[in-house]
Amino acid sequence: MDANAIEFENVTKSFRIHHEKINSVFEHVSNIFNRQNQFERLTVLNNVSFTVKQGEMFGIIGRNGVGKTTLLRLIANIFRADKGIVRTSGSIIPLIQLGAGFEPDLTTRDNIILYGVILGFSRKEITEKVEDILKFAELEKFADIKIKNFSSGMYSRLAFSTAIQVDPDILLVDEVLAVGDESFKQKSLEAFMSFRKKVRTILYVSHSLESIKELCDRALLLHEGRIQSIGPPAAVVDAYMKILPSYPDHKKTGVMRL
Amino acid sequence: MAATYLSKIWNRRSLIRTFAINDLKIRYRNSVLGFFWSVLEPLLMLSVLYIIFTNVVKSDIPYYPLYLLLGLIMWNMLTRATSMSLHSILGRGGIITKIYFPREIPAISTCITASIMMLLELVVFSIFIVVFQFVPPSTMALLPIILIIQFILVLGLSLPLSVLNVYFRDVQYIWALLVHAGFFLMPIIYRAEIFPEKLQTLLSLIPMTRILDMAHDVTLYNIIPSATDWAYIIASSLAILFVGYLIFKRFEARVGEEL
Repeated sequence: MDANAIEFENVTKSFRIHHEKINSVFEHVSNIFNRQNQFERLTVLNNVSFTVKQGEMFGIIGRNGVGKTTLLRLIANIFRADKGIVRTSGSIIPLIQLGAGFEPDLTTRDNIILYGVILGFSRKEITEKVEDILKFAELEKFADIKIKNFSSGMYSRLAFSTAIQVDPDILLVDEVLAVGDESFKQKSLEAFMSFRKKVRTILYVSHSLESIKELCDRALLLHEGRIQSIGPPAAVVDAYMKILPSYPDHKKTGVMRL
Repeated sequence: MAATYLSKIWNRRSLIRTFAINDLKIRYRNSVLGFFWSVLEPLLMLSVLYIIFTNVVKSDIPYYPLYLLLGLIMWNMLTRATSMSLHSILGRGGIITKIYFPREIPAISTCITASIMMLLELVVFSIFIVVFQFVPPSTMALLPIILIIQFILVLGLSLPLSVLNVYFRDVQYIWALLVHAGFFLMPIIYRAEIFPEKLQTLLSLIPMTRILDMAHDVTLYNIIPSATDWAYIIASSLAILFVGYLIFKRFEARVGEEL
């Protein structure tokens, strides 16, 4: 019960920010003569350490661009850390995010199968779950329709429903519940609850501070590449409210998101 | 090492299959004739090429129509697999930045898709064999082995291309150029004999040239390739796969960031 689902040990992640994006062989060759390889390093996470226990619902808050999604991507093994170690226990971990990666030219059904198979299921296993997933996502009517005409809300519903039905050990949720309508939000919350009963771990990124306080066992506040605060959600949200006024452009919007 | 790597890929065979099926589905989407296109398309294309090349290029190569078709089919497999693999990671950017799966899989499944399409074209080829009342020699039984070696070679090219095109977006144009040049340098529409001797020697070092020659020999001319030929294509294909995989590994780590 007390096993760690996720461990971050002195993790640093930086990105190359090219002044001019160089992505052709031609530009690389001309740069050898030019000698101006212009890029800066932007350190997004600087020596970050924390652990998440198995079965916890863990919230992550912070201003836009502070590295919340980068952190989730490190857990999902999509990014590799420059320094430090990211340990996760369990199977392949999906990151549920807006505009989840579906094939626009395939039908809903085929996309569910694709998504499930990527998550590590066999075609047979996932084919058996397709009807449940369609029902949960409220997309039965659109089962055999190509997905390219879907709204962003439908996309997210589909991604969330598929991920939750295939039952991964860790679920990474990045701001998707914001786009669902009220009935779907309610269902998602119930799904979260039953997910937690099975001692599955959820990492939840949101700007909805109320939902962080309500749902999470613990939370973490990222600020300037470091962990500013970690612990009970209420305390972490308070810490966030305190640093918020230091961002002039967020004075209004940050509070209004409540 | 190799065993754990292979088992890692084997465990994801469901995914390889799904990617391949989806590639085929998308390819024939919205078409009235649907899957028939997979046979009809090569049939029409090969017929056109046959008419043009047997009338324009009056070749003295024995069984020239079949010589031409077999070369085209095998070259098509290489062209399709590599050009599809250039987009196999780039085109899946959406899903690759959300769920981790081994990055080798897009290139592998692409090679499989291209192989399936080649098999369909070989069905068309057998129709031509019947039409021309050609009796295949017993050495034709060696053709599948040559095709398997070709698969290794093509995979060795597809793996690095799939990641390199993410970093350098003009790799696809450079590759398209190479493939075009290759078409005219390979023994497809004529034999290497038409080239000056020095160029011939140089060309015979390219594994694909030798693979095509050997395929022609076993399928049409009842010639069993020499042990040196076998050793050469097997060793060079494996070497290309090895080097290709090293390049792939070198670039794989930051693919998520570059997409």
